Amino acid sequence: MKAIFIAFDQAHYQRIIDMLERSNCRGFTSWEQVAGRGSVNGEPHYGSHAWPSLASSILTVVEDHRVPVVMEKLRQFNDERPKLGLRAFVWNVEDQI
Amino acid sequence: MSLYGNAVKRPIMTTLCFVAVVILGLFSLKQLPIDLYPDIETNTIMVMTTYSGASAQDIEQNVTRPLENVLNAVSNLKHITSKSRENISVITLEFEYGEDIDVLTNDVRDKLDMVSSMLPDDAETPIIFKFSTDMIPIIMLSVRASESMPGLYKILDDAVANPLARISGVGSVSISGAPKREIHIYVDPVRLEAYNLTVEQIGNIIGYENRNIPGGSFDIGSDTYSLRVQGEFKASEEMKDIVVGTYEGRSIYLSDVARIEDSLEERTQETYNNGEQGAMIVIQKQSGANSVKISDKVLQMLPSLQKRLPSDVKLGIIVDTSDNIRNTIDSLVETVMYALLFVIIVVLFFLGRWRATLIITITIPISLIASFIYLYATGNTLNIVSLSALSISIGMVVDDAIVVLENVTTHIERGSDPKQAAVHGTNEVAVSVIASTLTLIAVFFPLTLVTGMTGVLFRQLGWMVTIMMIISTTCALSLTPMLCSILLRRVNHHGKVYTVIFTPINRALDAFDRGYGRLLHWVVEHKLVTFLLCMATFFGSILLMKQVGTEFFPTADDGRMRISLETPIGTRVELSKEVTQRLVAEWREKYPEIDVINFTTGSASSDNTFASLQDNGPHIISMNIRLSDPGDRERSVTEIARLMREDLKQYPEYKKTQVSVGGMQGMGGQSSIDYEIYGYDFNETDSVARMLQQALREISGAADVIISRSDYQPEYQVDFDREKLALYGLNLSTAATYLRNRINGQLASQFREDGEEYDIKVMYAPENRTSIADIENILIYNSAGKAVRVRDVGTVVERFTPPTIERKDRERIVTVSTVVQDVPMSAVVEASQVKIDQMDIPQGISIELAGSYEDQQDSFRDLLTLAVLIIILVYIVMAAQFESYTYPGIIMTSLLFAFSGVFIILWLTGHTLNVMSMIGAIMLIGIVVKNGIVLIDYISLNRERGMSIRRAVILGGESRLRPVVMTTLTTILGMVPMAVGTGQGAEMWRPMGTAVIGGLTFSTILTLLFVPVLYCVFASRGVKNQRRKHAKALAARKLENC
Repeated sequence: MKAIFIAFDQAHYQRIIDMLERSNCRGFTSWEQVAGRGSVNGEPHYGSHAWPSLASSILTVVEDHRVPVVMEKLRQFNDERPKLGLRAFVWNVEDQI
Repeated sequence: MSLYGNAVKRPIMTTLCFVAVVILGLFSLKQLPIDLYPDIETNTIMVMTTYSGASAQDIEQNVTRPLENVLNAVSNLKHITSKSRENISVITLEFEYGEDIDVLTNDVRDKLDMVSSMLPDDAETPIIFKFSTDMIPIIMLSVRASESMPGLYKILDDAVANPLARISGVGSVSISGAPKREIHIYVDPVRLEAYNLTVEQIGNIIGYENRNIPGGSFDIGSDTYSLRVQGEFKASEEMKDIVVGTYEGRSIYLSDVARIEDSLEERTQETYNNGEQGAMIVIQKQSGANSVKISDKVLQMLPSLQKRLPSDVKLGIIVDTSDNIRNTIDSLVETVMYALLFVIIVVLFFLGRWRATLIITITIPISLIASFIYLYATGNTLNIVSLSALSISIGMVVDDAIVVLENVTTHIERGSDPKQAAVHGTNEVAVSVIASTLTLIAVFFPLTLVTGMTGVLFRQLGWMVTIMMIISTTCALSLTPMLCSILLRRVNHHGKVYTVIFTPINRALDAFDRGYGRLLHWVVEHKLVTFLLCMATFFGSILLMKQVGTEFFPTADDGRMRISLETPIGTRVELSKEVTQRLVAEWREKYPEIDVINFTTGSASSDNTFASLQDNGPHIISMNIRLSDPGDRERSVTEIARLMREDLKQYPEYKKTQVSVGGMQGMGGQSSIDYEIYGYDFNETDSVARMLQQALREISGAADVIISRSDYQPEYQVDFDREKLALYGLNLSTAATYLRNRINGQLASQFREDGEEYDIKVMYAPENRTSIADIENILIYNSAGKAVRVRDVGTVVERFTPPTIERKDRERIVTVSTVVQDVPMSAVVEASQVKIDQMDIPQGISIELAGSYEDQQDSFRDLLTLAVLIIILVYIVMAAQFESYTYPGIIMTSLLFAFSGVFIILWLTGHTLNVMSMIGAIMLIGIVVKNGIVLIDYISLNRERGMSIRRAVILGGESRLRPVVMTTLTTILGMVPMAVGTGQGAEMWRPMGTAVIGGLTFSTILTLLFVPVLYCVFASRGVKNQRRKHAKALAARKLENC
């Protein structure tokens, strides 16, 4: 099992949820409004006066073989709308209940 | 979930909510009556007290003064004026506008109860009379007649006045100019004397003869019959054969001593329509009724009424006030439509996409139509004020939607789906949209709190705009995102047409942005020069303020004129008539613009409600003129009035002439200035009044200078010697009654025909009452039947009765009034002030200015207070939004240029500063700060994003130029139809539109340069201060470490 942490512009939210659903990834935890900034470029998402946009984030834990599918789709989303910003990080799950 | 979230999620609900609002609004619109002004409640109460036999001075001392002293304590009283003339005291209480007149009437009644015991015993109980705008006639009909002239009154009363009075809402219908039938028994005094008869005996005999007397009932067999004597005359001819006495055994018939004339009242008002004698029918409405509705019904009824009249009687219209109302409202509706069109064009021009244009412009009809619901719910009308509110708002209601749409578009361009973009995009700007609406509400809501005349007028404007703003913001936060989510596309495919039209437009707009960027660059480099240039322009325009005249309200051309003329007191009606006929003939030839000219002269009979309330008499001529529609003629009504005033100077027969333009006084009419001369002594105030009149006549622009106090009126009085009267066994009352019966006539009886009653009057034949000798020869009989001539018991002398004593605010007063023509009111006021200062005014006499000038001063004071209040409120809203005291201050500087712009454009266009242009200037407070807010908001956003001050200013300016110019252009172009309108009544709102356009254009241009400069100055000072603080703190820390 691997965990995928996805941080993205609010606008992507519904599409990503739908995509996870279609990719048979049932479980996820989401934060609809989070603030953050990319390490390289892209607009900060602070929800402030200067940077009014906000980000959302999703943490989903999926079987290992699903990771490439999900990551591919996420990459596709990001390429389609590069200005919105979408980042995903994968790491191992050591144990679970 | 938020409003916009829900709206986007539930498009059907959102759409239908707004459809419901539109349907309700359209329903309300259909029900809304139209009128010229909002309902202006009456503010005047009259108290009339009769005290028979008292002279003007007695009345003043014993009736008017005690009443005034008590009535002065009624609350909300503005002025108390009174007229004391022989037998009667009339006190007029003028209250502040907007007070409940019924409560005030009760107050007045309570006060009168307190004082009634202090009045003289013979004085009658004071009568309270509420005066209102409903007294102004709504329709005047002219009646032409030839053969039917003698019976015209009855014909009109039956066939026209009664049916018209039955229309619901019609208050009273009065007929003037059609004399009533009266049967005159003209006796010959010589024959009376020869047969030992008197007027009284003849009168009594006629009374006894003209009677029906029931004789009771009696039985014949099984039936009961009633017995009656039918003695009433069936024709006036029958009276000839009445036996009035016997002389030497022979019967004397009435025809032996008198001639019987079945004719018309002797003294009556005569009316001439377009030079032909006829009658006038005046229709007044009930209080609260709608003039246009009534007039529609009356006009509808006229053809059927015409059919019932004899063929020679023709009805026509002299004045139909609803005509003006309808035309004015129509031209204002046209203005609103043009404004709508212009705004749509501007939006399309800047956005270049029809979908976006549709989304934005749809908020206009929704907000406008929603405001009709308010009008209907509060029982208001569609009038100049409410329609102006629509016209003003058209350009402003789109602003919020534009901001929302713009941000949503940015989100879509970044890659969001329209649905997501609509929610998040709206979320980001919701607060600033609400804040900018709040600044506008801070301007318009206080308008609802103003008191006085201005308050009555502009309360509706305040409410309407406030409501429209709230609706438009709601719309921008719900309907606009919803429509964005449905209509906007992520990828725009532009057609060929778009490329052809909008490519050059976009290129031009880009060049415009860059040009402004460069200018901004120069400006921030040369802060001092810019600052000085801007300030110089501001102070320069302040100097112009002196050049711009001030007045109360602009004069509206409603094609109506009222002219009152007076020949010297005592002139016979025939003479007044003859001169006026000449004048009318001349004017009809000289001014082809005249459609109808009608005049009335003579004393009104007491049962004519309309005429008896106005000044009337044989020497007074009141004239009504209706000109053709303003579009169909070259000369304006004021121009014609000026020429007519010139013409009147060629008629020395007239002692007083007054040409009034327009319907209601004060609003729409020409301004008048009243110079009130306070002082007790008649002679002194008279001489000051004459001096002032002379001085005013020399001032150009002051026309129709009139002194209110009339001359001493000549009359004949019979001074009876009481001792001699007593010697003959007579008393004064008997003697006086004898005189009255012979000259005025004795009412003998009533002649009945077709259910109508006509007076039978016995009096001396007209040829026997034409000289003083005729009066001296009148015989007075005592109870013993012995006769004595008037000259034996008294003398006939000519005397002058003192004029009416006028008072205002409990002091005696004479008013010299003048109409302002061709120049602003302030010019006449200033010129006259100089002359008054030069005048040698006796001690104890003071001159004060009133009339339109006083109204203007009151209104200007109210409006200035309002402006200050609004500025404070707007500042508070902005300071709260920016969480800063400095930024709102910087933004407020655009107000200076807005006011400069107002003065400059008023000066350029030759308009004056009046209530309408002041309202325009006040509206500007809210409109111009919006530009500053947009600019400063974005500049500080740039700063927060880490840019340097200068870069933030230049980039911010460049990127905000388009929205600023766009919202400004929508407002300006929304006002253009108002400012250049030529329709009926356009004179009223033209100054308002012009003021807004001038102020907004000028302030936008300067704001775009001045505000960035000020921002640079204050922001860098802020940075320096912070650095200094920081350095201090560092130094302090170093010291501690040491």
